Amino acid sequence: MGSVLAASSPNPPPPASGGGAAAAPGLTVPPGFGMPPVSPVIPSTGAASGKEQEAESSLPNPGAFEECHRKCKEVFPMQMEGVRLVVNKGLSNHFQVNHTVLLSTTGDSTYRFGATYVGTKQMGPAEFFPVMVGDMDNSGSLNAQIIHQVTSRIRSKLAFQTQQHKFVNWQGDAEIKGEDFTATMTLGNPDVLVGSGIVIAHYLQSITPALALGGELVYHRRPGEEGTVMSFVGRYTGSNYIATLTLGSAGAHASYYHKANEQLQLGVEFEGSTRMQDTSVSFGYQLDVPKANLLFKGSVDSNWVVGATLEKKLLPLPLSLVLCTFLNHRKNKFQCGFGITIG
Amino acid sequence: MSGANVKKGPSSGVMEWIGSACRFATDRNDFRRNLLVNLGLFAAGVWVARNLSDFDLMSPQPVT
Repeated sequence: MGSVLAASSPNPPPPASGGGAAAAPGLTVPPGFGMPPVSPVIPSTGAASGKEQEAESSLPNPGAFEECHRKCKEVFPMQMEGVRLVVNKGLSNHFQVNHTVLLSTTGDSTYRFGATYVGTKQMGPAEFFPVMVGDMDNSGSLNAQIIHQVTSRIRSKLAFQTQQHKFVNWQGDAEIKGEDFTATMTLGNPDVLVGSGIVIAHYLQSITPALALGGELVYHRRPGEEGTVMSFVGRYTGSNYIATLTLGSAGAHASYYHKANEQLQLGVEFEGSTRMQDTSVSFGYQLDVPKANLLFKGSVDSNWVVGATLEKKLLPLPLSLVLCTFLNHRKNKFQCGFGITIG
Repeated sequence: MSGANVKKGPSSGVMEWIGSACRFATDRNDFRRNLLVNLGLFAAGVWVARNLSDFDLMSPQPVT
């Protein structure tokens, strides 16, 4: 079931917001979804081995634009509230289903059924396409995503999200992975009848084996209104650290990821928004002790929020236990979560 | 008289500057102040991550 598990996302992103007047850079991904890992692109043509081509091919592919800050974000604990029970069942090497029950004190309790299908077209080790992921909750809200590797260099994705019977998010994108660059074009919520939609273009180029520079252009349009938002990103990868900076008209985002050793990883993040006139800093760390089947994440930020999650695998049972606690000292609020994953 | 005023001038100017700096540093509603404080915290966090994380949790305990 390795190929199916590779397609699922361990950290569901925050829920997507409805289309607004000024779209934030990058559309949000439906909860529970993420891109499967992509192996470095292998040159498809047998090109001549000139010195210039050898020099060009020494530059690695910089990866996807959305991956720039991901390493640092994965260090931070994910906030969870209530009791969550997840049961994963693999029915074959290509098909997996999961049941999620969420009991909440602040919101509605929900049941969610999800299915994942992984196709037979192999593009790399543990990479099979197409990948279809979908889930629906007890109110009829659907999240669905289809990812397909069209050619060795081009990957396409379609994503849909509904709130009960109403479509709130539909988008498609195409990603081109070159020798030393990645380009992505995303079309979000296109509506030909109304004349609205969002177009997002990403480009990331390897300048040196350690330095990658890129940019993002967001164009949004609706009746009587249109606008663009542009931002630039730079990422420097060291021996055991990654420093990334994103600057744009909407604000700035800086992240620093440091791998101290096999057990300890640290992350520092700075976010500033010119629109909200607000800035914040977060410091997080991840402690991985495989001998104890233990994963601990902690964080503290400038808004006086302290949080931690503890994940423990209860071997030899196929059980995983998750405990989560967040304290907001400024607002004097406390949030606690408990989860069990089976399978 | 003029000498006394000259002596008071620089000291009062310094006191005013210190007072405005204290008000700036403690004004939580000031965006520039928050930006500077958070940039300093980010730099401090990066320094801590690079210099104070070189301990090995799996190393054997020292024998006493």
